[in-house]
Amino acid sequence: MIQASLYRREIKGSLKLLIILGAVMTMYVSIIISMYDPEMAELLDSYVEMMPELMAAVGMTAGAQSLLEFMSSYLYGFILLIFPMLFSILRGNALICRYIEKGSMVYLTAAPVKRRTIAFTQAAVLMSGIVLLLAYTTGLEIGCARYYFPNELDIEKLIFLNLGLLSLQLFISGWCFLASCFFSDAKYSIGVGAGVPVLMYVLQMLANVGGKAEKAKYFTFFTLFQPDGIIAMENQALLGAGILLAGAVLLYIAAILVFSRRDLYI
Amino acid sequence: MSMIEVEKLTRDYGAGKGVFDLSFSVEKGEAFGFLGPNGAGKTTTIRHLMGFLKCRSGSCRIGGRDCWKERDEIQRRLGYIPGEISFFEDMTGTEFLRFLRWYRNVGVLSREKELLEYFELNPDTKIRKMSKGMKQKLGITAALMHDPAILILDEPTSGLDPLMQSRFIELMQREKQRGKTILLSSHMFEEVERTCDTIGIIRQGKLAEVDSVENLRKRHVRSYTVTLETEELAEAFARDFGGEARGREAVVFTRQSLEDIFMHYYGGEQK
Repeated sequence: MIQASLYRREIKGSLKLLIILGAVMTMYVSIIISMYDPEMAELLDSYVEMMPELMAAVGMTAGAQSLLEFMSSYLYGFILLIFPMLFSILRGNALICRYIEKGSMVYLTAAPVKRRTIAFTQAAVLMSGIVLLLAYTTGLEIGCARYYFPNELDIEKLIFLNLGLLSLQLFISGWCFLASCFFSDAKYSIGVGAGVPVLMYVLQMLANVGGKAEKAKYFTFFTLFQPDGIIAMENQALLGAGILLAGAVLLYIAAILVFSRRDLYI
Repeated sequence: MSMIEVEKLTRDYGAGKGVFDLSFSVEKGEAFGFLGPNGAGKTTTIRHLMGFLKCRSGSCRIGGRDCWKERDEIQRRLGYIPGEISFFEDMTGTEFLRFLRWYRNVGVLSREKELLEYFELNPDTKIRKMSKGMKQKLGITAALMHDPAILILDEPTSGLDPLMQSRFIELMQREKQRGKTILLSSHMFEEVERTCDTIGIIRQGKLAEVDSVENLRKRHVRSYTVTLETEELAEAFARDFGGEARGREAVVFTRQSLEDIFMHYYGGEQK
């Protein structure tokens, strides 16, 4: 089902972006984790008290009881949502739509390779990138926690949390990939592929601020990812992650079907 | 059996654009010239044959297989030069050809080296830095490296200098002798005239004429009889202008170029 030489080419083409995103995430994650000592945490919490709306918007709340809760509050509301999402948006568009727009899709389709195989290979590249990015993040989190605060991190729960995050990111990448397979124009592929997740994230920020805007949470899929709920192993949070994962599978299948059946003006 | 069959193909883009009720076939070992001005529907037809577009009405078959449903099987034996070539710009020509060799699973049978030498192309340059001619040569090499039985060529010599154009035409003549089936689309007459057996003239999405190159030429030959002062002069005249001498008379012919024939079919609209 996977075309090996295409997969190799595209993974190579993803490396630069993966390294850049990995580096930025390394910086943020290590700094945030290092701040989990009572004094620094107090400082962060004081920011939350100073500007509760702004901090809440990006999922940051005060009063974490453990390192994992602290991470969940300061990493899983913004940084670990946005950077993998950036990968999905950029690579998602490049893997199918850019080839169509530039016309070089000719060389992928004018060969004894099924369209299904082409789309599946590109989907696998996108998913591999996300998995790689989150696997690296997990390793980084464990490493940083070990270095700064040995034995403070509940690794088992962290892995559950990151599997939940993986479901969310696969869902987003599935959406970007579907947009890429559907449109022939990069501006629409990126516009729809990026626009919807960004809009949903903004709704999520509104919902986080609370008050009347809280209702916004019913209109964004980010609600299905509940870091604190996953850490507490709440059924509802686990169900949410499950829905995201199932949605991701459906989006990828839809994308592959759309690409296999569409007309290509190349 | 026909190698390429287009039957009642219709794809209406509106405003008179598209192809309408188009039917033609190319026999095995035949070279078919698909001649028409820009926007006549040549590329649209080729996109159907390549399996890029699905036939909404009518059918396209290559080697008896449906061009949409069995496109990957058809591609095994097909070589294609697109009208507008776009490669993976981030690669060098060498890397691109190596990628295609793996991607198409061509293996050691590749004619790559022979073709590169024939067209005097050194592909070891970033594709983005290549000239149009170099890209065209690379496109030709990519289309022929797996020695396909069927060639679909969309304006294959655009960007080539006259020397390389002749070389390409000679190559096509040789390929034809080796039994290849060729569909060559062009708006350039010489390219088609020197390569093809049959010419289909397409105009506004419809076939205006299908005939052999010879017949098309014959139909448009004019003869003139000139009377000269002496028999010697008449003979000399006939010799110089490729005619026949009959006493003091010399009969000479002007063959309308395909270009003129072409204008005959298109002329009206453009004035």
